[in-house]
Amino acid sequence: MADPLIRIEKLVKKFGPFTALNGVDLEVYPGEVHALLGDNGAGKSTLIKVLSGVHNPTGGQIYVEGKPVNFRSPRDAAQAGIGTVYQDLALNQLMSVTRNFFMGRELKGMFGNLRMDEMNKIAHDEMNKIGINFSDPTQAVGTMSGGQRQTLAIARAIYFGAKVLILDEPTSALGQKQQMGVLKTMMKVRKRGDIAIIFITHNEIHSKLVADRFTFLSLGEVIGKGTKKELEGDDIRRLMAGGAELGDLAAELATVTG
Amino acid sequence: MVRRPEIGAFIVMVIIIVALGIASEGKAFNALGLKNNIAIISQLGIIAVGAALLMIAGEFDLSIGPMIAFAGMCIAIMLKWGLWTPFGVYEVTPFIAFVVTLAMTLGFGWLIGTIVVRSGLSSFIVTLAFWFFLRGLTEVCFRLINQNTNVSGLPDFKKESWFAEQMGGEVFGWFYDAWYWIGTKVTAGVEFTGDMSREAKIELINYLGFFNINRKMEQWVTGFDARLLWFLVIAGVAWYVLSKTQLGNWIYATGDNKDAARANGVPVNRVKVGLFMFSAFCATIFATCQVLDTNSSDAAKGMFKELEAIAIAVVGGILMTGGFGSILGVIFGAITFGLVANAVFFIPWIDGAWFRVFVGTVLLAAVFANERIRKRITGGI
Repeated sequence: MADPLIRIEKLVKKFGPFTALNGVDLEVYPGEVHALLGDNGAGKSTLIKVLSGVHNPTGGQIYVEGKPVNFRSPRDAAQAGIGTVYQDLALNQLMSVTRNFFMGRELKGMFGNLRMDEMNKIAHDEMNKIGINFSDPTQAVGTMSGGQRQTLAIARAIYFGAKVLILDEPTSALGQKQQMGVLKTMMKVRKRGDIAIIFITHNEIHSKLVADRFTFLSLGEVIGKGTKKELEGDDIRRLMAGGAELGDLAAELATVTG
Repeated sequence: MVRRPEIGAFIVMVIIIVALGIASEGKAFNALGLKNNIAIISQLGIIAVGAALLMIAGEFDLSIGPMIAFAGMCIAIMLKWGLWTPFGVYEVTPFIAFVVTLAMTLGFGWLIGTIVVRSGLSSFIVTLAFWFFLRGLTEVCFRLINQNTNVSGLPDFKKESWFAEQMGGEVFGWFYDAWYWIGTKVTAGVEFTGDMSREAKIELINYLGFFNINRKMEQWVTGFDARLLWFLVIAGVAWYVLSKTQLGNWIYATGDNKDAARANGVPVNRVKVGLFMFSAFCATIFATCQVLDTNSSDAAKGMFKELEAIAIAVVGGILMTGGFGSILGVIFGAITFGLVANAVFFIPWIDGAWFRVFVGTVLLAAVFANERIRKRITGGI
């Protein structure tokens, strides 16, 4: 088996007296989709924020391609090849696809002018590589569908050097058809083989469709992990509920309904 | 409409040009009419470009008018009383007076911008505070130094100072020279005769006016006000920066969604502070042209100019919420406003206050049109 792109050992994050992450281990491999599942408050968001350099860890160590790293800012994380696509996607609706694609990292000519034709072509090609049919890079992002926007944000992160792509609930705000488009995009990225995807989701069905490996968080701790083969469907559902036995829940529900 | 946000401003401008041409019997566009119209269009355009860039970045500047008065005061006082330094009082040239003034106004622009981005307060309230502060400061300085609220009767610096001539004098003389040259060819043989009636003479004077010829059969107008040059320079640079450069992309990104811009590495705060300084720069150019043209200054200069600049930007298709708009639209807006503001001089029977009625109506229509464009892009329609 290949070496993990990212290895996290005993990661601890405390906010004052509150422990958000309590010794989390995680290994992410290139060419794989790694689903990170857990209930609200399980520590998923904190984990991504530590990984993408927003928060400093209180303890533990992150390794990227075997080397220990210490991110002091989101810029550090981006330079190490960790691209985070947040739920709001960090896109500007009124601006064109190309202007969004290169926002903050524009290609400049000799006189500080934008190399617009080149940028249009790159934006168009990069999005078509992983995405759905898409033709006009000069259209405003506001006129695109939610799925297309997600594709834009993902293509942008990859083009600017993301080796690890963190997708924060990419399907949660979309309609059924758009969700399928995003899952397809993820599979196209996976097929490249050199990029690892961390897929944060609430949706058990989506995770089972695309993920190769699963990690379940509850109250800041890993309560279960494994590959698709190792875990059976029922395991996933049980772990999604934060480890509570489904049987217990059934009994509880029975007392409510009388 | 979505790709070309300035189309609405363009249509309004064409309507106004045609209407004014007809109502003034063409006089608005004869040799002198064109010069006077271009003068006020350029004046309004200079500050509107500054206001527009700032609005695209999502902020307002209400201190433009007082900044004009303040800059005018500084230059006029320095030209009259000299520059105080710890080593004594020195006489200054118009250029030195301009540079010292610009240092102060850019300082104020920086201060306003820094307060806005550091405090996170609305630029509306911060620049309103500076509206009062600068208006008051200007009047106080006038009274303390000059014992009056104005400076008038300065010597005409345009003859001795190249800089003063470029700011307050005339430019593009070749345009009017060529106009006159063509006029002499077209009107060859036409002349005043002793037996002409008064009406016939007036008609002939009007006719000759279209060919840049005065009643003595000499060249009538010799050039545009120098403001035109600065309007073209400022608008040209702003257009290039906004549509063709990285900084332009940053300005749009800052005004659209500053959190998204910041997440992608755009230095949002630096963009905003820089644009507050650019707005102050435009106000300073406005004031310098005014002082060196009229050889005077007054504490009441620049009154309402901040509101007119914002109105022109909105009519030009700039969104109140930022992130969208073009310099071309602002130019169309400035032409429309300048022509309407001047219309009273060419149409004797019209009341000048109709200007404000017109502005109010067009402004409201423009806001609705802009909002519709925004909704179309962001999926509201």
